[in-house]
Amino acid sequence: MADRPVLEVHDLHVTFRTEGGLVPAVAGIDFAVAPGKTLAIVGESGSGKSVSSAAVMGLLPSNADVKGEVLLDGRELVGLPNDELRKIRGNDIALVFQDALSALNPYYSVGWQVAEAYRLHHDVSKKEALERAVRMLDLVGIPAAKARAKDYPHEFSGGMRQRVVIAMALVNDPKVLIADEPTTALDVTVQAQIMRLLEDVQTEFGTALVLISHDLGVVAEVADDVLVMYAGRAAEHGSVKDLFYRAAHPYSLGLLGAMPRVDVPPRHRLTTIPGSPPSPGSVKTGCPFQPRCAYTERVGERCITERPELTPRPGEGNHEAACHLGRRPEVAP
Amino acid sequence: MPDLVWFLIRRLFATVLVLLALSLAVYLIFYALPADPARLGCGKPCTPDRLEQARHFMQLDQSTIQQYLAFLRGIVVGRTYGEGGAAVHCDAPCFGYSFPLARPVTTLILDRLPITASIALGAAVIWLIVGVSLGVGAALKRGKLFDKLAVGLALIGVASPSFLVGLLAILVFGFWLNMVPVNGYVPFTESPVDWAWHLIMPWLVLAALSSASYIRLTRAQMLEEMNLDHVTTARAKGAGERRVVLVHGLRGVLVPIVTIFGLDLGSLLGGAILTEKVFSMQGLGELLISGVSQVDVAVVVGVTLFSAFLVIIANLVVDLLHGVLDPRVTHG
Amino acid sequence: MSSSVPAAVSPTRQALRRVRRDRSARLGAWLVIGLIVIAALAPLLVRLAGQDAYTYNIGLLDPARGNAPSGTAGGVSGDHWFGVEPLTGRDLFSIVVLGLRTSLFIAAVCTVVTTVVGTLVGISAAYFGGWYDAIVSRLLDFLFGFPQLVFMIALGIIVPAGFPRWLLLILVISVFGWAGLARLIRNQARSLVTREFVEAARSVGSSGWHVITRELLPNLLGPVLVVATMAVPGYIGLEAALSFLGVGVPPPTPSLGRSISDSIVWVYTGTDPWFLFFPGAMLFLAVLGFTLLGDGIRDAFDVRLRRAT
Repeated sequence: MADRPVLEVHDLHVTFRTEGGLVPAVAGIDFAVAPGKTLAIVGESGSGKSVSSAAVMGLLPSNADVKGEVLLDGRELVGLPNDELRKIRGNDIALVFQDALSALNPYYSVGWQVAEAYRLHHDVSKKEALERAVRMLDLVGIPAAKARAKDYPHEFSGGMRQRVVIAMALVNDPKVLIADEPTTALDVTVQAQIMRLLEDVQTEFGTALVLISHDLGVVAEVADDVLVMYAGRAAEHGSVKDLFYRAAHPYSLGLLGAMPRVDVPPRHRLTTIPGSPPSPGSVKTGCPFQPRCAYTERVGERCITERPELTPRPGEGNHEAACHLGRRPEVAP
Repeated sequence: MPDLVWFLIRRLFATVLVLLALSLAVYLIFYALPADPARLGCGKPCTPDRLEQARHFMQLDQSTIQQYLAFLRGIVVGRTYGEGGAAVHCDAPCFGYSFPLARPVTTLILDRLPITASIALGAAVIWLIVGVSLGVGAALKRGKLFDKLAVGLALIGVASPSFLVGLLAILVFGFWLNMVPVNGYVPFTESPVDWAWHLIMPWLVLAALSSASYIRLTRAQMLEEMNLDHVTTARAKGAGERRVVLVHGLRGVLVPIVTIFGLDLGSLLGGAILTEKVFSMQGLGELLISGVSQVDVAVVVGVTLFSAFLVIIANLVVDLLHGVLDPRVTHG
Repeated sequence: MSSSVPAAVSPTRQALRRVRRDRSARLGAWLVIGLIVIAALAPLLVRLAGQDAYTYNIGLLDPARGNAPSGTAGGVSGDHWFGVEPLTGRDLFSIVVLGLRTSLFIAAVCTVVTTVVGTLVGISAAYFGGWYDAIVSRLLDFLFGFPQLVFMIALGIIVPAGFPRWLLLILVISVFGWAGLARLIRNQARSLVTREFVEAARSVGSSGWHVITRELLPNLLGPVLVVATMAVPGYIGLEAALSFLGVGVPPPTPSLGRSISDSIVWVYTGTDPWFLFFPGAMLFLAVLGFTLLGDGIRDAFDVRLRRAT
């Protein structure tokens, strides 16, 4: 990482207070992303990746306790009064949601909604804001942007709606863009277009991108760094090459095995990870991945009694994995 | 826009059809009644001769269908009962003639309408404001004291029949505290202040019950709406909580509220009638009830049809409003 | 949350358990039970009090105050627990408990009638769909927007004097009452009809009757129960309102609504507000009890009662 990171997260914990007691969702993760770079956070649903992004934005419900550090340009965001956070949200850090249809307000025209995002952070007239919105809509590739700005979300196709959401996120030229599964709800061809759009705007504006995804194909294409989350913790992180060529955690390997690849002969069957992820709070001791891990026997007792910490692994720089297995496991156990 | 024009034309056409069907049904029901209005109008002693005369005069000697057609004709061109010097004329639009009251039904209704309309509309404004704002407040302070108070108040309101609340209010504010007038009606044109002052109790009483159900409705809808993704989007854009609630949350709640309001218009009229009785006001309800007790069929039919007419028209307005409020509704 | 409950416990059981845990629903249930017992035993209670609802006691009235009851709180005494009616001196306790009996009886019959009709129409509309569904939906729209109370009052004119008024009340309330239930059941059933298990039953050649009674009805019991309970307070209020307007059961049959209506003049003059208090409180408790219970059951079954589609 050449540049100083614009967003740094240190030892982030998120716990929900519920009727059934405290439920931890994120149990201490670190990540950082520099301007113009892309960090991908991958993991199965329930691994805490979306909760982490909401915590960064200060968008968690009031029954969530957030501990740790979230630094934006060195400024601590955790514990900031809501009014201060409000000025940062949408302005310095913007969010792109998974489902554009439900993320957009059905009762307002898309031009109005993009303009609103601008007006919330700039003291401009409605007309100026709308002009800015139209420029953004045009920039993200909406044809006849000026006319279509008057239309309502339901009058757009899925891909076009996601472009609107991206325009809305970019209208204030944010330093960090968090995209939470931005292409999951879309057709494959449209997915590629949207990812290309995100890359384009990133190069143009130098935005730092946090891409939350479970699609490793997309990750391999656009990410610089990758954070693999499992049960609210970091399982492994490193550069995209570290992860794809030197994955050290059996879970990462499992995810890679579950991804269709063009460079592997088709007779190789896609492997799946048996079982399903535990909820972050349910694992008290030992490795959270142990019940599903194929290497437990190789390591033995330690996997059950001792929680693995992130330890450095060979790679381009910051490659770390939380696994008792000392050396890199073979691909076919 | 042409879509909207077509929609209006279609709806108006449908409305006319519904009104025709309804008026025919009402006519058939009410003119099949066993009591004979002519007998009451023929005076004493009621010889068969005089009865026949009265019947002819009231045009009750024709078949029901003929009478119905005469009724429809009367709406368009007016109607004359009897001949010569004794003739009674009823100008168009004539919705029948009340022989016991010796007035055209149209005049009677128009005389009474301002009172009922004043009660109903004023109460509706109050309950929409009170119900929606308390409901929104309760939803935002969910589980807090304000929420519990609002929900409790709503429960009491829902469980108290409006006439009961009205009488209690008269007892407390009118009689014990002697703060407000408890009866009488002053036309708006005479003195708007006195008009409102005399209506304040009826309004509050009629509004109490509906406010309660609108508190419950708004609270539930608001809780649902605030959980939607687009509300999170608004927060993520950097909107303050007030703006999130008022511009993004409440906006979606308006649609179901307007829908329900449309459904409640019929009962609004009924509520106004109860309120009239509590506060001894001479509105449409009083006209209807005395019409029933005096077997004044023309009045009963007229008021019933007129009420239905009002509700159908109001529903049309609500439907149009729906289209304005929800861009996903098309009138195509 | 529901997944943690063992599968052996039926959803209905679970819901009833939730009702029992809900404090306001429990209060409602006790109120309802108490009122039903009072209504059922009303004639007995009246005899126990040594009174009846028809005997005039002119001696208990104060002619100087326009024949309002003498004594405190509307003439409350060991003989007349709720005092006496002004102008006639009839025992108010008897009038109130017998009036409650009338109210609950009419509300109960209306609930049964509208529930049966509403469920049948709603389910059949959802099941058969097509033009039948379209007609039913239009009819429901129409009934919904209709100024029901106006029509109910107006109907009073065409019914011959000999026709029992309580039956007329039940008919009139039921004719309009089934619409709300039918719409809700129709919408609920509509979402069931498209579900796989119903399609499966249809595809193996089950008859319509079989699908409706074996597949749809059991799945709709919750909503039906909820709507039926929630309808009761409405009917109690409606019956009282009609009696209040003078088109309910005729005197001398006791009726809460008519007593409240009769009390207007005594409230206006302030001579006997207790005449409003006792019947009014009874009516309030009846509506409140059923509302609380209905709310509790609704929450327990988690039925979405949005009237809007």
